[in-house]
Formats: sequence, C-alpha cells, structure tokens
Amino acid sequence: HTTRPVHTTQQCSAPLPPLPEKGGEVRHGLIPEEFFKFLYPKTGVTGPYMLGTGLLLYLLSKEIYVINHETVAAACILSVILYGVKKYGPAVAAFADKLNEEKVAQALAVKNEAIKNLETAIEQEKKEQWRVEGRSYLFDAKRNNIAMMLETNYRERLMMVYNEVKKRLDYQVAMQNLKRQKEQDHMIQWVEKNVVQSITPQQQKESVAKCILDLKALSKSAQAVA
Amino acid sequence: MAGRRAAIKAIDWAAFAERVPPNQKAMFNALKTRSDALSARLAALPEKPPTIDWAYYKATVAKAGMVDEFQKKFSALKVPEPVDTQSTKIDAQEQDAAKSSAEYVQASKARIAQYEQQLQKLRSMIPFEQMTFEDLHEAFPETKLDKEKYPFWPHKPIADL
Repeated sequence: HTTRPVHTTQQCSAPLPPLPEKGGEVRHGLIPEEFFKFLYPKTGVTGPYMLGTGLLLYLLSKEIYVINHETVAAACILSVILYGVKKYGPAVAAFADKLNEEKVAQALAVKNEAIKNLETAIEQEKKEQWRVEGRSYLFDAKRNNIAMMLETNYRERLMMVYNEVKKRLDYQVAMQNLKRQKEQDHMIQWVEKNVVQSITPQQQKESVAKCILDLKALSKSAQAVA
Repeated sequence: MAGRRAAIKAIDWAAFAERVPPNQKAMFNALKTRSDALSARLAALPEKPPTIDWAYYKATVAKAGMVDEFQKKFSALKVPEPVDTQSTKIDAQEQDAAKSSAEYVQASKARIAQYEQQLQKLRSMIPFEQMTFEDLHEAFPETKLDKEKYPFWPHKPIADL
C-alpha cells in the first residue's frame, strides 16, 4: 500500500460556512439540473429529453429491459406513491418544519432570558455600588447627633445654673414681701381695733346725728336736681 | 470656647433615604426619628440663658452682702462643657466601613466582569439555525450528553427526559 500524505494543508480554525438550506435543483425529481446545463451548449433545451427518449426506446426495443408483470406492479406502486407525495408532501413538510421551529424558538428563548438576567444582574451590582457610596451620610448623621447632644447638654447646664440662682434670689424677695405684707396687715388691724375701742358712746351719738343732717341736706339737693 | 461649637452639617435626608437598601429601612427610620427628636430638643433651648437683673435684686433684697456675693460667684462660675467620648468610636466605625465597602465594591466589580464575559459570549453566538450539535455543545456545555457515565441511549437519566 502506498501511503498517501494526509493533513498536508495548513489547519485553519475558521468556522465552517453555514450549511445550505435546500439541496441541489432537480428536474422531475430525479435528474439534477447540472445535467441539463451540461448538455445545453451542444444540444439546446430539448437535448436531454431526446437523449432520454432515445435511451428508453433503445432499452425497450432491444429488450434490455423486459416488460413483465413486475413492470405493471412497479407502475401501480409508483403512481400511488407519486400521488401521495404530490398531495400531502407540503403538509408533512410544514409539520416537520414546525417541530424544528419550536425547538429553535425554545433555545432562543432560553438564550434571551439568560441575556436579560445577566443585564439585570449587572444593573443591580451597579446600583449596590452607588448605594455604598452614600455611606458618608450615615456618619455625618451620627456626628451631628453627637454634636447636638453635647450642645443640648451644655445649654441645659447653663439654664440649670440660671434657674437655681434666680430661684434663690426670688425666694429672698418673696420672703421679704410676705413679711412686710404681714406686718402691714397686722398694723392696720391693730389700728382699727384701737380706733373702734376708742369710739365712746357720746361720740357715736354725735356722729349719727351729723350723718342724719347730712343725709337730709343731700336729699334736698337731690330733690331739687330731680 | 474651643471645641464647643462642633459644626452641625445639614443632612439631605431625601438623598440619604434613596441610598438606603430596602432591608435597612427600619434602622434608617429609627435613626431619623432620633435625630429629629434631638434637633427638636436643641431648638427648644435658648443659646444663652437670660441675664439676671442684678440692679433690681440689689435694690430689693434687704440682706446686705447677699446679692453682691451671688453676683460675684455667678460671674466667676464656669459651666464645664460635656466631654465627647463617642467621636473616636465613630471615626473607627467609619474606617471599618470604608474598608469593608472597598472590599465589597471590588467583589462587585469582579462579579460584573464575570457577567460581562458571559454576556459577551452569549451575544457573539452564531444563530441556532446555523449550528450543528457540536457547536451547540460548545456554546452550552450542559447540553452535552455524557457518554461515559451513561453509555446507553438516551445518555442521561430517564427522569431528565
């Protein structure tokens, strides 16, 4: 055995071109189009048909192909098959295509969902990073709280001092006022008591008479006015 | 008085609230209420207490040296400022937070890089119509049938069909 050289060309890792969708063109379901194209320059359009007819007649007349009962059976079977394919072929093809379509669509859906999930995940991560950046707010708030508490405490202490001193001074003033008022009241009472005591019955009668005279005078002047 | 008027920064609570993740909202609300209570208390107190009218008291109070004594002692009195014990703790917390957040951000960036890589791979895939089964197994390794583990058809456990 001679050994043929293998793997002579360089390996290229380019991806293969996509496979064609449809097969080669065929005429009458059997003969490829390339045959007709091949004969066209020499014999024109009818060339291959003439060749075919001639070949058939030659086979029949020389009895290279013998007509017997199997010929009839073949003709019947072939005609039934052809009729079935021509009538139901497209429907079956569409059904098979639909099955394939579904598979592909499912795979595509999975891929799209994966893409969407990854994108949302990236969004979330970016958002979390943005949140983390705001941590300075927290510490500002805490320091503010501390400053406020200190300031409040200091002011409370000042107020306490002031209030205590004021309370004591006010107490002194209030005590003084109270004492003076009590003294005044007592003195007034004492004076009144003494005056009442000193009014003798004689003085009382004289003052009552004077009051009556005054009243009469007043009533006269009042009558005169009215 | 040095150190007394530590500046109270104005905090933008709205912006702060935006950055709080939903699972920490309760803590944030607690902090806010505490802050608001403190600032309300602070605003209720006057900055300086009102001055005592010494002349009036000197004229009114009978006891001779009492008012003078009070006045002397009052003006000599220094109210001690409250000592700040927590600021160092806050600074320490801030350092820790800075460190941990730097770590988190780094981990997050690594995750983002990973996601980007996968995204790139998915986006640059050939369309399914042009794929062979080998191409599919390359793109999604989980579709590859394990012929060593399950040598007989269908090459995967029956439950997975």
